[in-house]
Amino acid sequence: MISLRKGRTSIQGSSLTRWIFVAPAMLVVICLLIYPLLSTALYSFTNKTMIRKSFSFVGFENYIRILTDPDFWTSFGHSLVWTIFSVIGQVIIGFIGALCLNRIKSPAARSIFRIAAIIPWAFPSIATAMTWKWLFNGIYGFVPEMLQKFGLTDGLIQFFSDPSLVLPALIFINIWFGAPLILVNVYAALQTIPQDQYEAAQIDGASSLQSFRHITLPHIRTVVGLLVVLRTVWVFNNFDLIYMITGGGPAGASSTMPIYIYDTGWTGRLVGRASAASILLLLFLVILCVLYFKVISKWEKEDVK
Amino acid sequence: MSLKKRFTPGTCFSYVYLTIIAVVAVFPLLWLLVSAFKSSGEMLANPTTILPKEWTLENFKTVLFTLKFTVNIKNSLIVALVTTVIATFISSLAAYGIIRFFPRLGNIMTKILITTYMFPSIMLVIPYAVVMNSLHLTNTRGGLVLVYMSFSVPYAVWMLVGFFKTVPIGIEEAARIDGANRFQVFTRVVIPLVRPGIVSTAIYVFINAWNEFLYALLLVSSSAKTTLSVAVKTLEGADILNWGSMMAASAIVVLPSIIFFILIQNKIAGGLTDGAVK
Repeated sequence: MISLRKGRTSIQGSSLTRWIFVAPAMLVVICLLIYPLLSTALYSFTNKTMIRKSFSFVGFENYIRILTDPDFWTSFGHSLVWTIFSVIGQVIIGFIGALCLNRIKSPAARSIFRIAAIIPWAFPSIATAMTWKWLFNGIYGFVPEMLQKFGLTDGLIQFFSDPSLVLPALIFINIWFGAPLILVNVYAALQTIPQDQYEAAQIDGASSLQSFRHITLPHIRTVVGLLVVLRTVWVFNNFDLIYMITGGGPAGASSTMPIYIYDTGWTGRLVGRASAASILLLLFLVILCVLYFKVISKWEKEDVK
Repeated sequence: MSLKKRFTPGTCFSYVYLTIIAVVAVFPLLWLLVSAFKSSGEMLANPTTILPKEWTLENFKTVLFTLKFTVNIKNSLIVALVTTVIATFISSLAAYGIIRFFPRLGNIMTKILITTYMFPSIMLVIPYAVVMNSLHLTNTRGGLVLVYMSFSVPYAVWMLVGFFKTVPIGIEEAARIDGANRFQVFTRVVIPLVRPGIVSTAIYVFINAWNEFLYALLLVSSSAKTTLSVAVKTLEGADILNWGSMMAASAIVVLPSIIFFILIQNKIAGGLTDGAVK
């Protein structure tokens, strides 16, 4: 790659043309991402609502109101459960799937499994929500009927109206959606490992567990780490699935932070308070990502060594 | 290879595990499709029979003509296509610019992209609603396209950087010596080389715009401008929820997405993590 310090090669020209290439994308980032972030931060210190145009500064009042609101803490707890179990489930099931796919020699079987795995990933959120709602339907749903038929349950299970089942059911759906994504991406990373390393290890008498620990794992752990970060952020911020399936119900039993923000800002029309809650959500994610990336960059340094 | 070596316990386990995964992965799609072709009487009478006794197009007719989903399909198509064209154009320029002219900016750009990926859409939608209201863009497809740039462009740049990295600089220098200016080099030399990558990126942008729900729900309220995802959700509000029409409507949303996804599957695998400028 060319370096700016070494002077211009013939391909680099006046600085203006160079900027024309990147300017539109920068404008998008500034207007549609940085500006909204700053204005949310500003609103979070005001009493702005959706209805009135005028507003005044109220200091930390929104933050205090939120942090003393028990509903906020319930939603935060649900968000943690929803994210931790979804991501762990997705990673374990997807990771094992990738290792299995990598063992299969027949190219036809490989591509069939790969395409099958891609299908949930390609499901639009609305289709995921409505299909599972129908599958789990409490009167005519396929899954509750089957469970009853095989005598596993007395009567039909009400997955989405039972407060103790609603989060596990949503997490199951989220794992269905996300595990294939991990599978396909980890499989792609596994393919980049040079085969001769395994052959050399085999000649040296390494067991397959040892090969896995000393060849496979170091090669793919940064990719897996990055996938975990991206998935965690995505799942934590996910609004669509829960909103479409339960809307946070029954009685708030599946309300996560994005649902809480929606209820405050759109149903309650309190823009200032919803903004403060969004900033708290973002802060939490930033802290989490900084920690994740510390671990990943440590791995990267070890890999170079 | 001998048969003995082929069927080790590990391989057997792999087949069993992947078969279970594949069945669970595909079953909802199958169920969605067969439900869409069942009559409502049959759906409710036999909840666990898989194939319909009688295949009917009734649900699709209801959705398309009685419920006027043709309007929503048109809205979704317009928004998704315009988003795709603009976002792919902007992002191709940017990805090339980063690779060729601002390799240092590339490192910062990767960090910016990961940071913006963290922004919750539920947070961004508040200022979008406020600004769009004052610009009279709420309830317009143009406003929606504008907002869709916020997630399309960063992601497309991220994907395209990976593809543009593969273009050797020697070819470009040769074209420059032959008298081509910078934009000619870009359009006549570089673009043709990365066309497959650009096509996959464009398809990915299209799928995401086609599937988008939150912004379309909160920024467009007039039913004439509603996109498909939101229209499907509003079916639930009907007095009598007809699951047959719901499944037919869902089938209309899901099929383009799945077909396109399978087309670009090779490009997308790894694409999530390849784009990083190292």
